[in-house]
Amino acid sequence: MSRHEPANWTLAASLLLVLPLTVMPLPEAIADARPYWAALMIIYWNLEAGRLRYLGQAFVGGLMLDLLTGSLLGQHALSLVIISYLVERFRFRIRFFPPWQQAAVVMLLLFNDRIVQLWIVGLVGDRWPSWQWWLAPAVGMFLWPWLFLLLDALRQRERRRKP
Amino acid sequence: MTPSGSTWPAAIDGDAAARIARLMFYGLLAIVLMTLDYREGYVDSLRTQAWRAIEPVILAVEAPFKMGQRLGEELRQRHALMDRVAILERERRERLAELSLLEELRDDNRELRDLLDASQRLVPDFQSAELMNIDLNPWSHRVLINRGSRDGLEAGQPVMDAFGVMGQIDDVAFNTAQVILISDPDHALPVRVQRTGLRTVAYGSGRINQLRLTDLPMNVDLQPGDILVTSGLGGAFSAGLPVAEVESVSRPVGEAFAKAVVRPIARLDRARHVLVVSSPEVEADDDTDADADATPAAVEGDEHTEPAPEAGEQTPTGEMP
Repeated sequence: MSRHEPANWTLAASLLLVLPLTVMPLPEAIADARPYWAALMIIYWNLEAGRLRYLGQAFVGGLMLDLLTGSLLGQHALSLVIISYLVERFRFRIRFFPPWQQAAVVMLLLFNDRIVQLWIVGLVGDRWPSWQWWLAPAVGMFLWPWLFLLLDALRQRERRRKP
Repeated sequence: MTPSGSTWPAAIDGDAAARIARLMFYGLLAIVLMTLDYREGYVDSLRTQAWRAIEPVILAVEAPFKMGQRLGEELRQRHALMDRVAILERERRERLAELSLLEELRDDNRELRDLLDASQRLVPDFQSAELMNIDLNPWSHRVLINRGSRDGLEAGQPVMDAFGVMGQIDDVAFNTAQVILISDPDHALPVRVQRTGLRTVAYGSGRINQLRLTDLPMNVDLQPGDILVTSGLGGAFSAGLPVAEVESVSRPVGEAFAKAVVRPIARLDRARHVLVVSSPEVEADDDTDADADATPAAVEGDEHTEPAPEAGEQTPTGEMP
């Protein structure tokens, strides 16, 4: 479980998919509650596969997200770096939690991230986001088990294919 | 990417201090970047470059939704479409009639201006564009339109919807462009009160349905319902485009200036089709100073080139009706 080949299609595909998922048009009412896909991916890959563990990777990914969404350069970078650090810090505890508890931890991480982002937004003096924006961690929590199962299955299949 | 990258994940318990140091390092880096970005100018070119690089991603994400929309339109009932065509046709006829009246007025106006030896009004040219489906982050007062440098767009051009001024082109890529809305906290727009001729600046408030006038004189003659139009100062916008309607005026005790909250007339949050106003062609050759001003200014440029807002009574002759 500790070492994989560097070329990992599931990883590449899931990372590529993050970009469209992040800017995909959603109906007005739920657009603000869009789950933080990039964070979910970072958490998953760190916890379950031991990939994307470097803060530098989170930083670069965050910068790309900033450029894509036109937010303040560094906002997502900072938020992802913090998430990455926290996941790494509590990695061994979170990994052995039962799934529902893991989902709760994911929600806490995402909620913490909302506060970090709100801090940045507050400093810049932008409008505060709508209340749906606070639903995003909960949405992330409900998505977590499914994401987990899906990516796990994909990884297993990939591993079986090339022994 | 990280120094000592190969050893770090292995030594999980060993160097907590090093990990915290790394967190600090990246955190600081992010904060420095954000500061540079917020203070504008330092990373703007980088942002534009990156925007151009990322454009294919945007187009790729957009494509299936565009297709879905088209498909939906295809599937719509035929008679509903016929009805719509009829309505549009009727509207078009009415508009054409109005337009012919206006045409006559314009000719009159030109003759009168010739008689007065005044400079000619600039005739703006419009280019229609459609908003893209992409959602940017929930705070950005920016939208994407499906026109870019291929269609001759340049940074600084005004963008309107059918009702009023929406914003200004900011970053231009090949096929797309970002429009910064007038509600963006960084945006300042020189305006004129239609009823009194008072000139001031409307600042974005960060709320989509609100702008602010912050430096009005205490004895300002401004009522709820007054219409603000662009004043044409600063050069980026031609004069007289409707901008906003005054909602409330407040004169806080103990402060030097009165404030007003105004509501944009353009439907910033609902418009799907917009008009990009091209840099107007100068009709007469004696209007050289306006021509020089009409070069696209940076969005923030308006703020700096704007004279003191108390200059309301000194109306330049170029603006006289």
